[in-house]
Amino acid sequence: MGDSQYSFSLTTFSPSGKLVQIEHALTAVGSGQTSLGIKASNGVVIATEKKLPSILVDEASVQKIQHLTPNIGTVYSGMGPDFRVLVRKSRKQAEQYLRLYKEPIPVTQLVRETATVMQEFTQSGGVRPFGVSLLVAGYDDKGPQLYQVDPSGSYFSWKASAMGKNVSNAKTFLEKRYTEDMELDDAIHTAILTLKEGFEGEISSKNIEIGKIGADKVFRVLTPAEIDDYLAEVE
Amino acid sequence: MSQSAVDVPPKGGFSFDLCKRNDMLTQKGLKAPSFLKTGTTIVGLIFKDGVILGADTRATEGPIVADKNCEKIHYMAPNIYCCGAGTAADTEAVTDMVSSQLRLHRYQTSRDSRIITALTLLKKHLFSYQGHVSAALVLGGVDITGPHLHTIYPHGSTDTLPFATMGSGSLAAMSVFEAKYKEGLTRDEGIKLVAEAICSGIFNDLGSGSNVDICVITKGNNEYLRNYMEPNPRTYVSSKGYSFTKKTEVLLTKITPLLERVEITEVGEAMEE
Repeated sequence: MGDSQYSFSLTTFSPSGKLVQIEHALTAVGSGQTSLGIKASNGVVIATEKKLPSILVDEASVQKIQHLTPNIGTVYSGMGPDFRVLVRKSRKQAEQYLRLYKEPIPVTQLVRETATVMQEFTQSGGVRPFGVSLLVAGYDDKGPQLYQVDPSGSYFSWKASAMGKNVSNAKTFLEKRYTEDMELDDAIHTAILTLKEGFEGEISSKNIEIGKIGADKVFRVLTPAEIDDYLAEVE
Repeated sequence: MSQSAVDVPPKGGFSFDLCKRNDMLTQKGLKAPSFLKTGTTIVGLIFKDGVILGADTRATEGPIVADKNCEKIHYMAPNIYCCGAGTAADTEAVTDMVSSQLRLHRYQTSRDSRIITALTLLKKHLFSYQGHVSAALVLGGVDITGPHLHTIYPHGSTDTLPFATMGSGSLAAMSVFEAKYKEGLTRDEGIKLVAEAICSGIFNDLGSGSNVDICVITKGNNEYLRNYMEPNPRTYVSSKGYSFTKKTEVLLTKITPLLERVEITEVGEAMEE
C-alpha cells in the first residue's frame, strides 16, 4: 500500500489525502466493545457492553458510562485510559463555562470543545490521536440530544448510533427499529435488544451498562437491579 | 488550548506592575476607587445535629449602605456553606472559585466534599495573596466525618471552633454566644441563639444591619432560610405614593433593541468529515 510510507507520522498527509494515523485510531475504536445511543422524544439513552477480561475483576468498580455535568453523560468505544483523560478535560471545560457565564454548558458547546481537544491531538507534534469515539447524551433547553465524536475531532448529531465491534449489525437493527416518536422506556428496550443482537454469551445486568436522561434533565446510570427489570420486560 | 477569562494567573499571586502608574496617578490627583465592604456580622455554631450559620444583610460603601439585603451566606457544596466578611468582591470570587473546584473534585472522586477540603483550598489561596484578598470567612458544614465549623482570616490562618463570629459586629455577637452557648443545642434553640447574636450585631454595630439570614446544615440536608428575621422593616410608607416631576422625557423611539428574537428550527448540527 502506497499509504504505508506515510503512516508513521500523524502530521503528514498520505498521497490519497488521508491522515493514516486517524484511520488506525478508528480501527482501534472499531475493535472496542460495542456501545450505542438512542434519542427518544423525551430523553436519551446510552448503553454499552461491559465485558471484563476475567471473572476475577470486581465488576462493581468498573464504570464505563460517566457524567460530564449533571445533565450530560457519555460512553465510549475504544481505549479506556484515553476516555478517562477526555472525561477529565471535558468536565473541566464544562466547569469553566459555568464559572464564566453562570449558565450550565449547552450540549453542543461541550461537544464542540471536546472535539476541539481531540482535533488538537491530531495536529500537534509528539502526540497521538485519542483511540476512542464518544457518544455524548444530554438534555438542555434545546431538548434531548445525542452526539458522536470521532478521534479526528469530527462530531455528528444522531437520532440513534452505534460504535465498536458490532457497529454494522447494530446500525442496521437500529435503522429498522427507530421511530421519531419513541418514548424513553421504548428506547431503553430497543437499546437492550440491539446490544443483544451481537452479544457473545448471556446478557445480564452484570455485563452491560445503561445510562439515561429524561425531561428531568438529570443524567443517571441505571443500577443493576433496574437493568434486571428492563431485561425481564424485554424477554 | 482554548483560552478563557478564568485562567489561573501566573504562579506567585498578584503582579504589582501597575503600582508605579497608580502612585503617579494619585499624585496627580486621581482618587482611587473605593471598594464595597461588608462591614458585617457573621456567625456559626455547632448544634446537636449539625451546623447553623447566620449573617446580617447590609453591604456598606464607606458611610453609605450600598445594599440593604445582600446575601452573605455563600454556597460551596450541597453540604457546605460559607459566610463572608470583608470586601464583597473578594468573598464572592473566592467562594465561587473554591465551590467550582469542589464540584470538579466531586466528579473525580464520586464522593461528597469534606469541609476540611474546602478549608484547605481557601486558606492556600488566601495565603498566596498575602492578605491582599480581604476575605474573612466562617465555613461550616456536615460531612462523613461529622459537623465542622472553621474561621478563615484574610492572611490564611484558620481556627476550628464550636462557635465563631467574624466581621465588624463580631464582638457584639460573640458576647451573646459566650453568655448563652452550650453543647447539644437543639435545632430551634440553635436558630434562636444565632438570630439573637446577629441581631446583637445589627443593632450595636454600624457596619451591620437590615435582616438576618440563617442556614441550617445537617447530615444529608440543608435549609437556607433567607431573611429569616426582618427586624428593620420600613415603617413609614406614604399611602399616597410619591410623584416626581418629570424633568427629562424618555424617548421610546430612541431605545433600540440589542437582540432580535429569532426562531431556531433545526436541532442538531451536521459536520462534514
